[in-house]
Amino acid sequence: MSTTKRLSPGDMVLYVVLILMVFVVSFPLLYATSQSFQTNQTLYRYPPTIVTTEPTLQNWQNLFNREDLMLPRWLANSFYVATSHTLLVLLVTSLAAYAFARLKFPGRNVLFFLLLATLMIPGQVTLIPNYLVLRDLKMLNTPSAMILPGVANVTAVFLLRQFFMSIPTELEEAAIIDGASRFGVYWRIVLPLSIPALIALAIFVFQANWNDLLWPLVVTSQVEQRTLPVGLSILNGSYGTQERGLVLAGAIFSTIPVLLVYLVFQRWIIRGVTFTSGFGGR
Amino acid sequence: MAQHTTRLVPDKPARPALLSAEGLRYLLARPSTREALVAYVFLTPFFIFFIVFVLRAIVQAGYMSLHDWKVLGTTQKFIGLQNYTELLNDDVWWIALKNTAVFAALTVAGTTALSLGLALILRRNLRGTNFFRSAFYAPSILSVGIVAICWGWLMNTDFGVINYALRSLGLRPINWTGDAAVVIPALSLVTIWWGFGFPMLIMLAGLQNIPEQLYEAARIDGANPRQVFWYITLPLLRPTLLFVTVTGFIAHFQVFGQPYFMTNSGGPGRASYTVILYLYEAAWEAFRMGFASSVAFTLAIILMIITLIQFFFIGRRVEY
Repeated sequence: MSTTKRLSPGDMVLYVVLILMVFVVSFPLLYATSQSFQTNQTLYRYPPTIVTTEPTLQNWQNLFNREDLMLPRWLANSFYVATSHTLLVLLVTSLAAYAFARLKFPGRNVLFFLLLATLMIPGQVTLIPNYLVLRDLKMLNTPSAMILPGVANVTAVFLLRQFFMSIPTELEEAAIIDGASRFGVYWRIVLPLSIPALIALAIFVFQANWNDLLWPLVVTSQVEQRTLPVGLSILNGSYGTQERGLVLAGAIFSTIPVLLVYLVFQRWIIRGVTFTSGFGGR
Repeated sequence: MAQHTTRLVPDKPARPALLSAEGLRYLLARPSTREALVAYVFLTPFFIFFIVFVLRAIVQAGYMSLHDWKVLGTTQKFIGLQNYTELLNDDVWWIALKNTAVFAALTVAGTTALSLGLALILRRNLRGTNFFRSAFYAPSILSVGIVAICWGWLMNTDFGVINYALRSLGLRPINWTGDAAVVIPALSLVTIWWGFGFPMLIMLAGLQNIPEQLYEAARIDGANPRQVFWYITLPLLRPTLLFVTVTGFIAHFQVFGQPYFMTNSGGPGRASYTVILYLYEAAWEAFRMGFASSVAFTLAIILMIITLIQFFFIGRRVEY
């Protein structure tokens, strides 16, 4: 846009609104950070101390000293589970999406319709049967319980199929004439050309798995197997009323890695949102 | 050249009978058969997961909902629709349903208004738009626990900074999560803060898809900004708005983490008790898996009706 345009009064008002909104968005996290460096004595006092003159690391030290809190472990679990889940989803759904996009086979329309029909049914319906089957397979309290059930991601198949269909077929035909197998075409041509779509989808799938609370709560019961969202509920449940500074430190600790990833990949993430919603955009 | 025949067109090999080794070889050698086989190989991993964790699960949930299902039982007693009649006669279920619907409606209304307003501002491409866009989406990446813990402290009745601000302005402090009349709007407020970035980005994309010529034409015709908004922007944004409101309503109908963290699973009393909390407690606190399955199916029916309404409206897309 223009570089030396002067601000009109109307634009000034809009900037005020936007900056106010930045304040509203950032304040809860900034305030929690500032509070996490205070002692319980100053926290439970009225009027509240917004920024303390005597910061203490006590809460942050306690976060890693308490026997029942394993935040680094929970963080590692979350990372392992979400990464494995995402990679598996990308591999499995892109194979299926390629078949639906490019290959002719009996039953194609029926199977595709079946997939779309299950989109109508919310995930909660499968919660209990999947819990029981994982119990029978002795998979409760293992990472597999959080990695495997969501792999058949129908939305992912649908989005990737749309994307694959937009790739010109000439490239694939040329490769086949040169002697490539179907898998070779998928692996060496279609997947590399789909990297933007795959990244957008990966972010979407990763985020959903990373932030899931209900399912990990149900399928894990041992403290070492918990993921970060469940860990936070343990932290909040055990110390929420007595040691708020500790709980706030835990929340901020869990925010840092996510926020760093967001700062680095924000452009991809924001592009990914419009891609996965199916509304195009740029 | 031709050694033993003078025919110019070679014989098409006769199609052998299907149920013979010869026939099978013929069938497998056909390109279309090969393609289909490749396709089935490509689909196999997906369908293993799909059949085990989706199809089987849906069918089993339906089956279980007709039984008095004991977690450790070897035989389960068929009881017909009793789970469903019990559910529909349970006052707590109706309280949960009402709370959830009010929460979803409030959250969607607030989110839509806020995100539409911000999308309209960002669409003007003021300097720094990219920064604002990233900043406003940031809360959406947080997990519900972080949001609930931070806001829980802001909203603390005695030591919270929000009530401090209210008192400083001479207003009465509010018991945000402890007052039955306030708790749902309070959770809704937190959720709006958490999630408005997603619809904002989608509406921004929707606004950018509206052709610039329409705005130029309106300007030439002397339309004022309000007319432009009501007669161009809003009608052309309708599909996006419907998508955002309906998917938002469905998503917020499945609220769980906010009351789980902030109101001790539905308090005060049952004032913030929601449908998923009801399901969770039926299955994993009372261990009534059959009854909980009937809850899940009833929820599915409710959400399907909402989805059908969505299809009905979005089916009538606006053309331009």
